[in-house]
Amino acid sequence: MTMDPILTATGAVSLAVILASAASHKVRAPAWFRRQVADYRLLPEALHGPAARALPLLEGALALALLWPATRGAAALAALALVGLYAAAIGINLARGRHDLDCGCAGPGAPQPLHPRLLSRNLLLAGLALLAAAPAAPRALGVFDGFVVLAATAVTVLLYAAIEVWLANQPRLLGLSGR
Amino acid sequence: MQALIVSNVLLWCLLVAMALVVVGLIRQIGVLHARIAPAGALMVDKGVAVNQPAPKLTAEDRLGRPVNVGYPGERAQMLFFLSPTCPICKSLLPAVRAIDRSRDDLEVVYVSDGDMAEQEKIIAEFKLDRSRYVVDPEVGMTYQIGKLPYAVLIDAEGTLKAKGLVNSREHLDSLFETELLGAATLQDYLRGQSPRIHHPGDDLPTEKGSA
Repeated sequence: MTMDPILTATGAVSLAVILASAASHKVRAPAWFRRQVADYRLLPEALHGPAARALPLLEGALALALLWPATRGAAALAALALVGLYAAAIGINLARGRHDLDCGCAGPGAPQPLHPRLLSRNLLLAGLALLAAAPAAPRALGVFDGFVVLAATAVTVLLYAAIEVWLANQPRLLGLSGR
Repeated sequence: MQALIVSNVLLWCLLVAMALVVVGLIRQIGVLHARIAPAGALMVDKGVAVNQPAPKLTAEDRLGRPVNVGYPGERAQMLFFLSPTCPICKSLLPAVRAIDRSRDDLEVVYVSDGDMAEQEKIIAEFKLDRSRYVVDPEVGMTYQIGKLPYAVLIDAEGTLKAKGLVNSREHLDSLFETELLGAATLQDYLRGQSPRIHHPGDDLPTEKGSA
């Protein structure tokens, strides 16, 4: 299925910005992220350090690769796999009943307990990755197309940020209303 | 075609602005949630009575300047009792500082106790270096403070107007409300405020004073 290049470019650039911000908060707080990896209790202890170092590098590399049309398709599929991996990590810990575990999704400043609705956010990211991976129909792009891609990216990233804070606020609201 | 492009550009710009507003609003909600965190249970209070003269004492703040507590002066005083080991105290400090800055007729004194290095950390973190910050267990003992964070409001004449355990911004504000209304406790306030409701048995002499 071919898509208009505006759609694929928007998906790719938005995903790149989100991945880059995720990588940056992990790089800025390496000790925190290492603890986070250990907290998920999925890897043997020897792999905690290497995994905590490799994941932000992988995210950063994918963010860069998404920006070039030549590497976009492969990077988008890799990002899809990464998002799926994170979703699986959350799902396994939810199945273990660990609802008090910090998700670690939005960086060290925003603790947030695990909840099935976090998976819907990963679904959203997977949708962006699929959009970026879809082959683009050949079409000459003008200045106006560039503007639309930038504006749509800005809206997507802002809405993603809003959804993230919204999801983080939800448990607090439930706490207030006593449920 | 020109009109369509202009309209499209305008719509995109407005949509970006809208998304920015949504992010801003949602962040504000997050801040509100942090400020109205659940409060602890209130307790039966002891110590100095409200609407009575406050105990007078002089303590030294962390720079060695004398701080008079409970003496008649030009300004009302609010004592905020905190400790570096109490997380709720820290979450209340921004609210206390906001009150300090917004009221010229009120002197806020931070009263703490414990390790000096920890105090310095709090002072640096919440920019309290120009505030009156007392590290002295004597004040807390005189006012019989058992729980933290605790606030005491003393008016310019040296009368203790309000006091209480403060767990949220709302509790802090209610101290000033207490001062304004002149009622020592919620029970006092309700007794003074409520329109007389006739309860069956009110007129019976044997029931008097049992409420």
